[in-house]
Amino acid sequence: MKLESIHVEKVSKKFRLGAANDYGRLTEAIMARAKGFFCKPAQAVLAKENPTLGGRMEGEWFWALRDIELSIPSGEIVGIVGRNGAGKSTLLKILSRIVMPTLGRVGVRGRVGSLLEVGTGFHPELTGRENVFLNGAILGMPRSEIRKRFDEIVSFAEIESFLETPVKRYSSGMAVRLAFAVAAHLEPDVLIIDEVLSVGDQAFQRKCLGKASQLGEQGRTVLVVSHNLAAVANLCKRAVLMQDGRLVADGSPGRIIDQYLSEMRTGDGQRVWKDDDALAPSSDQIRLRSVSVFGNGSEVPLSEVDIDQEIVVAIEYAVLLDDVSVSVQIQVRDETGTYVFWSTNAPSMNMELDPWYGKQHPRGVYQSECRIPSNFFNETRYFVSVLIGPEIGWITLRQESVLSFVVHDTGAMRREYMGPWIGPAVRPKLNWRTEKKG
Amino acid sequence: MRYYGPTDSFGFGQLSEIWRTRELLYSFFLRDLLIRYRQVVVGVLWVLLQPLMGMFIFIGLFFVLGTQSARSGVADAPVVLTGVLCWQLVSSSFRDATGSLVNYRHVVTKIYFPRMLLPLASLMCAVFDFTIASTLLIPVCAITGTTIVWSTALLSIPIAIWLVLFCAGCISWLSALNAHYRDVGYALPFILQLGMFVSPVIYDLERIRPLLTDRWVWLYEANPVACCIGLFRWSLLGTAQPSILGMTVAAILTIGIGLSGLAWFQHADQQLADRI
Repeated sequence: MKLESIHVEKVSKKFRLGAANDYGRLTEAIMARAKGFFCKPAQAVLAKENPTLGGRMEGEWFWALRDIELSIPSGEIVGIVGRNGAGKSTLLKILSRIVMPTLGRVGVRGRVGSLLEVGTGFHPELTGRENVFLNGAILGMPRSEIRKRFDEIVSFAEIESFLETPVKRYSSGMAVRLAFAVAAHLEPDVLIIDEVLSVGDQAFQRKCLGKASQLGEQGRTVLVVSHNLAAVANLCKRAVLMQDGRLVADGSPGRIIDQYLSEMRTGDGQRVWKDDDALAPSSDQIRLRSVSVFGNGSEVPLSEVDIDQEIVVAIEYAVLLDDVSVSVQIQVRDETGTYVFWSTNAPSMNMELDPWYGKQHPRGVYQSECRIPSNFFNETRYFVSVLIGPEIGWITLRQESVLSFVVHDTGAMRREYMGPWIGPAVRPKLNWRTEKKG
Repeated sequence: MRYYGPTDSFGFGQLSEIWRTRELLYSFFLRDLLIRYRQVVVGVLWVLLQPLMGMFIFIGLFFVLGTQSARSGVADAPVVLTGVLCWQLVSSSFRDATGSLVNYRHVVTKIYFPRMLLPLASLMCAVFDFTIASTLLIPVCAITGTTIVWSTALLSIPIAIWLVLFCAGCISWLSALNAHYRDVGYALPFILQLGMFVSPVIYDLERIRPLLTDRWVWLYEANPVACCIGLFRWSLLGTAQPSILGMTVAAILTIGIGLSGLAWFQHADQQLADRI
């Protein structure tokens, strides 16, 4: 029997909403503060701002996790999957002891490390050498161990000649290399990887996953949160599925991923929110009313569309105030969580001119449509996320994977080849021409 | 396997945790020490210059006012210097420790270590400065012809430790409070200003006593800072001792603030990452 490495006992965590909100922008933070100063936010308002909270609200409190039971023997690589907001990151934070559970307790054997913390505690005024020692100590390495591995770390980071230079004079690449070198030489008994929080840098993600499998081979416990389901399937021997703060399934990655995907397969090609629905996704200025997918020339929303038909994603929203500028965007992902494309109604990204683009919208109900040409997708399932905000780079309303649809090949694009179409997220019909040149 | 979860215990567990992670405490201390005098021309000399400058300002002030700060018969300079040394220990540890958690929230919200280490490292820096700067007393006494009372001089060490323990209790309160309510950081400068006037920093106990009637002197001396400065000065220069009643109350206050600070810090620590 293997030693238990992690033991989560009936762990629940609640946050007070409003206090723990993450404000992306200073103006938003100030507005929220000002609002909070003049009127105490009521439950309905909070629930409105956080559309996915459903039954997890309790007054001002929000249950991020509920009754989590989990036991992981040492040496296991476990993937955690679930929708955004299911509580994956909170669970990892509790395991790494940053956040204290509200109820229950957590046991961990040995040192916990996570690649989230790359560069945590680096101080710009300190030299490379001093930062290695400080950062190593913060990550939990004893000084003697840092001293022993110091040369290794420095040569891994390739900064030998800058050891006595303050880090503020480093190029950002050098600083990141040094930070990663320290983290990579930390040998935690439990490694935690939250890829969700390190989105953007592909190379870094690859490095993290590489480190994970390497540590796994050495018999250490690894916990992975990733939207990259293929990586979870390859890396892990076991996966757990989280849903609305609860751990709902535990088993082989294949089975868990299937279950996760079927959970994501919501509905009938349309999501509708009533006007008085407190849970309707909304910002101060805009409330989402519906998102629908139309295809095959049908007037009725469809969740299954033929490959040779134009697909229309229609987003209906209410503008709640006068003179609001609105930018609508959609993001489409495939089943592995890979982004297929991102599109918006700005003129340079639009085949025609959207008459309402850049205009001040008076109060009212609007519908924005995005037409995706026929013969573009592959035959698989796609997930649509809707993003709305005053500008392209300023999103105030975001609804991840709000609905999904399946594209079927009716044979229109498969007359000559019947084999499986491996991999690609799209299968556009393009122009081909061969000429004899000599 | 080590377990953790919400706890109602009194907070003594933090002490053993701090002891286990003392290497990290040392690293934080070293960091604070190193970055403080980076890009500074005279570097560590500031440790000596700050209390000296404070001393000269106050002596100059009293000179302009045409009076003396000391009533005890000892020269002004060593009396003011002992006060300034102790006060800078209090004020710089309060100032640095109060902001320590908030300034390091990008670390606090990403990785676990006993959070108490951050304010403690600030306190250690202040103690380090205090220890170095205390050597100034020897030349200052020599120049002003003041004799150091060697028979009680060693007692100054436990007295200084008392003051440090008092600071430790206060900064557990202040740093964790500031993480929850930033108001603390804004109010602190005024609290410190007030604190300096209600402690015998630039004057000695002999000077304040006639102003307060005998009935109220103990209340003044019950302020642990006032009591420690009085005792510190007494042990080195032979000035008046605080009253027994005052010292007793000050000791009780110190213990009370220390224990409640420990309990409060543990309580606040449990929601720190959510609230900071």
